[in-house]
Amino acid sequence: MFGPGGALDRLKISEMLSLGFRKLTGTREAGQGLARLFAQDARVGIKINTIGGRKISTRPELSLSLAELLVKNGWPERNVVIWDRTNRELREAGYKLSDSPNALKVFATDTAGAGYETEIVSHRNIGSLFSTIQTNFVTASISLAILKDHGLAGITAGMKNYFGAIHNPNKYHDSHCDPFIAELFDSEPIKAKHRLSILDALLVQYHRGPSFHTQWAEPCGALIFSLDPVAADAVGWRLVEQLRSGNGLPSLKEEGREPVFLVSAEKLGLGRAGSDSIEVIEDEV
Amino acid sequence: MKRRLFCETLAGTGFLLGTGAAAGLSRAWAFQDTSNLSHVEARYYKKHPDREIECLLCPRLCKLGDKERGYCGVRQNDGGIYYTLVYGKACAANVDPIEKKPFFHFLPGTDAFSIAAAGCNVNCKFCQNWQISQVRAEQVPHADLPPEEVAAAAEKYRCPSIAYTYTEPVVFFEYMYDSAIAAHKRGLRNCVVTAGHIQPEPLQDLLKVVDAVKIDLKSFQQDFYREYVRGDLQPVLDAIKAVGRSKVWLEIVYLVIPTLNDRGEDIRNMCRWLAREVGSDIPLHFTRFHPMYLIKNLPPTPISTLESLRDIALEEGIHYVYMGNVPGHEAENTYCPRCRSVVIQRYGMQVKSISLSKGECRTCHNPIPGIWA
Repeated sequence: MFGPGGALDRLKISEMLSLGFRKLTGTREAGQGLARLFAQDARVGIKINTIGGRKISTRPELSLSLAELLVKNGWPERNVVIWDRTNRELREAGYKLSDSPNALKVFATDTAGAGYETEIVSHRNIGSLFSTIQTNFVTASISLAILKDHGLAGITAGMKNYFGAIHNPNKYHDSHCDPFIAELFDSEPIKAKHRLSILDALLVQYHRGPSFHTQWAEPCGALIFSLDPVAADAVGWRLVEQLRSGNGLPSLKEEGREPVFLVSAEKLGLGRAGSDSIEVIEDEV
Repeated sequence: MKRRLFCETLAGTGFLLGTGAAAGLSRAWAFQDTSNLSHVEARYYKKHPDREIECLLCPRLCKLGDKERGYCGVRQNDGGIYYTLVYGKACAANVDPIEKKPFFHFLPGTDAFSIAAAGCNVNCKFCQNWQISQVRAEQVPHADLPPEEVAAAAEKYRCPSIAYTYTEPVVFFEYMYDSAIAAHKRGLRNCVVTAGHIQPEPLQDLLKVVDAVKIDLKSFQQDFYREYVRGDLQPVLDAIKAVGRSKVWLEIVYLVIPTLNDRGEDIRNMCRWLAREVGSDIPLHFTRFHPMYLIKNLPPTPISTLESLRDIALEEGIHYVYMGNVPGHEAENTYCPRCRSVVIQRYGMQVKSISLSKGECRTCHNPIPGIWA
């Protein structure tokens, strides 16, 4: 999976994506699976998480392969955007920026002409300005988040990834980010457009996240696909716990930072958090 | 004329002026790149293993991993060192009447050179300046205005004081502190407009370099603080006591929001607490709420509500009780508590007349507490 210098095997990544979409949608071809999820005229946003820099962000090889898969199956390049909150973070994570009208777009909310809405969206405990990329450009969204341990929320994965779509994520760190992660996801600009979660678990930071620490980062070579955003994160949590346990660390619950936002998300009807109610299908390429 | 001249001058030299909408926010905000932010090591934090830090500036005590920001959005852990991102980065700079803060017993009738940097350590649902306070440092246009230039500008525009205001000065503590020292060197005074959500140690340090503090006491109920402020009441009460017992002048503002914090019983308890802890001479301002930010479903505060709360405060022996955001109301004036003469007459933010002589009522010579010159 990882070549010299940590580079990813693009071919293998493409195969994983293709297999993931086939399994997720029960189709024989990835393109058929994509067609079930996205209208042909959809403008697809691939929301990535690049706060961790080059070492622990959504990998460019992964997000570019996903964009490539969409394009190969008929979605015009101009209708696909890979995005996050700042161009600086995108660059530091290894992305080459592009905002060309007719090509695949890679840019952030702080790009001139993008920015945040100026009207606050108020929903339950959320009061935020949303990125105009999410509100104006994107009509269908993929949360392509990196799976990491998180000092406050327990884990950061597909749902918390949307903290990067608002102007004030720092205001939602109280109480283990709960119920904020769930309620943000439940807000109209996110819930109405989210189509699926894909968790980048190729290299998992299982302790002292969200920043990178070599000694607690383990190559897992996995991607987690789900149409259920809560189940995706719950499965990601399980993986983090397995890694913690395998490395002699206490569980997140024992550390007092169990990802309680999953329970809130389930209560809001966003998906299933309980492991008994989640069917996990594993496969390999 | 002074204010207009100031605006023209700063505009000509590329400064950004004003709060919120006046600062040039358009539909899609114009951004500064984060490289334009300051990278000055913050005060009041503790280093932990694995590049983690704990902020000790405010009662939140944010514990942050590498690259993470505090609740305030303007202080960041970078490689295990905590930085303020807004040192010398003014997102607002204006010449205001001191009455706008409001201070009614501190240099009345003068102008204050008023500055802010982005950020806040609470998140009031009724914030009036949320466009600059409830944002991250890079999300609001700012100008480079280092402490020495703040003091120089205040002097140039004949402001006897500098006000740290509009947002939450606690979160730009280092900038405020150094500006205050620069101001004192020039014989200028400093006043702070704050929610009082600060730890005791930085507060004590701040009190050494400022002359007046106005604290927004937003309710006398913890539940209100949790729900509508996203903070805690007790640290604010502790801050009020600490300022009240220092040599620094203190005034209290209470924004009255219909149905949320306007219970007479709470106000009575609050006034009794104020009288007991900081004395009956503390100026207390009841100000009128207008629908804003996340509370747009409530009407402006009825004037009758403000009047009735003011009556309660007076009954409880608070000597100087004002009403704010009600231009022309008699409760804008300062009355001598002994002879009831008007010692300072105001209209809105304007002082119409002052009948004080060496800090005493001209009619009965009763001393009126405050910093008058």
